[in-house]
Amino acid sequence: MPSWQDFQPFIVAGLALGGVYALSGVGMVVLYRTTGVLNLAFGAVGAMGALIAWTLINTYGWPEGLAYLVCIAFGAAISLGYGLLAGPPLAGRDPLVKAAATLGLALILLGTMSWIWSDKARSMVLPTTTWRHEVGEVLINWTQILALALGVLITLTTAVFLRRTGLGTAMRALANDREITASLGVPVRRVEATTWVVSGALSGVAGLLLSNLVGLDAATLTFLVISSLAAALIARLRSLVVTLAAGIVIGLVNAVVTPIFSISPYRDMTPFVLAAVALLFLARHQQISFARRIT
Amino acid sequence: MRRPTASQARAPATVLALLLIVVLVLPPLLSAYWIDVLTAVAIYSVVALGLNLLMGRVGLVSLGQIAVLALGGWVAAKLAFATSIPFPLVLLIAGLITLVLGTLVGLPALRLSGLYLALITLMLAGAITVVLSTTNFPNGGPGFLGHTESSFGNPSVRRPDIAGSDPGYFRFTVIVAAAMFALALWHVRSRPGRAWAAIRQSEPAALAAGVNITLYKLWAWALASFMTGVAGGLLAGSVGKLYTYQFPTRDSIILLAVVLMGGIYSLWGAVVAGGLMKLLPALLDDWGLPADLLTILFGVGVLQVLLTAPGGLAAQVPKDLARLGGALSAVVRREAARAERAPTGPAPREPAQ
Repeated sequence: MPSWQDFQPFIVAGLALGGVYALSGVGMVVLYRTTGVLNLAFGAVGAMGALIAWTLINTYGWPEGLAYLVCIAFGAAISLGYGLLAGPPLAGRDPLVKAAATLGLALILLGTMSWIWSDKARSMVLPTTTWRHEVGEVLINWTQILALALGVLITLTTAVFLRRTGLGTAMRALANDREITASLGVPVRRVEATTWVVSGALSGVAGLLLSNLVGLDAATLTFLVISSLAAALIARLRSLVVTLAAGIVIGLVNAVVTPIFSISPYRDMTPFVLAAVALLFLARHQQISFARRIT
Repeated sequence: MRRPTASQARAPATVLALLLIVVLVLPPLLSAYWIDVLTAVAIYSVVALGLNLLMGRVGLVSLGQIAVLALGGWVAAKLAFATSIPFPLVLLIAGLITLVLGTLVGLPALRLSGLYLALITLMLAGAITVVLSTTNFPNGGPGFLGHTESSFGNPSVRRPDIAGSDPGYFRFTVIVAAAMFALALWHVRSRPGRAWAAIRQSEPAALAAGVNITLYKLWAWALASFMTGVAGGLLAGSVGKLYTYQFPTRDSIILLAVVLMGGIYSLWGAVVAGGLMKLLPALLDDWGLPADLLTILFGVGVLQVLLTAPGGLAAQVPKDLARLGGALSAVVRREAARAERAPTGPAPREPAQ
């Protein structure tokens, strides 16, 4: 059994990764609750934003801050575009159909990315990574702190926003019933468009952070969305605070078992196993035959 | 008993003729490369058939079929190296073991419905992929896992004695695939098919009509697992050596895309899907176009199918052809009418419609 010292750096890495999972999970849950769309292209949008930022910095010599803004704006723009284009025609369909349609967007982005950028591994180093701190015997960089802090901050801000503001109330109303909300005079399309923009911007932020923490590679980043999805699923696509907690736990467990060699190769199963167990546990009282939706 | 219509009575003959052409005429005409490609098309048609049945007939969506395929491949490779039973039996047992594993997963997972079922299959597929990337596939090594790292001189998964060559194995694959389609057709046309149709329409109504929903959902799940397991065995024999990278998560999504594009309400859709997934990339490669274009095309295809054409290509192409045929025959008829009228002097004025 490895000693406590061996675990410390992995705890830091796990917390950082967990923060990003939570951040993306919150982005997906808010969108799902408001529009009914589970955006499976979330990771692909962030990955493409990050690749664009990388190119702007390394090929065209743009200032870094501006390139990061472009990344976030790209995420917001492409999500909004998809929401405006595919949202209304699919509004009345089953959530499953809406989710499958986002897989179409994911494939389009994935194909475009591997066409333009090929599958070469790149690395993105945010300036915050160069600021390091030594805590005890562990070297912590500011990107890791930023990831965890943003995860917590955005979850709490979103939760408060949904409770306190008019727009937040409209979003929660939409989550309950789209038709009734529309008949009450809430501008449904505008509220949905706003949610797409916010969720898309979050995917851009997640893409930037992940490309630094994990590596900049289209396929990896696209499918990391499955891990954040696990966090959202454990929260039954509902509770933001549970999403945050689940995201951090997934990141932490995934990283902390790294030094234990016997199970280390299997550590990437963490999100899948946790989500599967949670889902099956939550569904234990349901009949197969009359399966009601847990919404 | 419903009496088959003329087109239904003609269908078996057409299919048989097509099958004979594919099995007897194609292999001598094609190079080894295209035989390989067509073998892959036949195998992935069977994989697509499993998902086609689940989605089109019962309304269940699985995003983990490629992981099930990998599982079938693993079991078949294991059996082929560990025992000396004939290859067709290996396929059958691999299918049955995959069936059992699939049912074990399906039993709890089917409590979830719709979106959640799709997501849990995605999660389980991710877990299977992680495990397989650590254990790797059997390649004649020692122990239960049967994998050895020494990559030199490893034997390939054996093929049936009568179908050792590539064209021979292609014929074998096509016949096994045809058997799977026949199995699917038999299910769809008989009691399970009617039960599935009732379930897809409305679960409460099906329950009221006395359909055992649990049984028939599990049945569909097991059938799809069995077919995919057999396809995994065929794949193991086809490529000889299996590696994890042959089963990327991306393929599960692409499979969903091509099955939707092929059309989920017709078994022909599965054949189209197999072609889209394996023949089209080879063609693009042959024409010197980047394969990434195809991924983009599949993405657009999914959106198009979901937004405008739920029947997919299998429904769309005949409809479009019929429309085209209708338009052509209208033109021909008009020309004929004009030619008829022409000798009798000035054409009478068209009656206002």
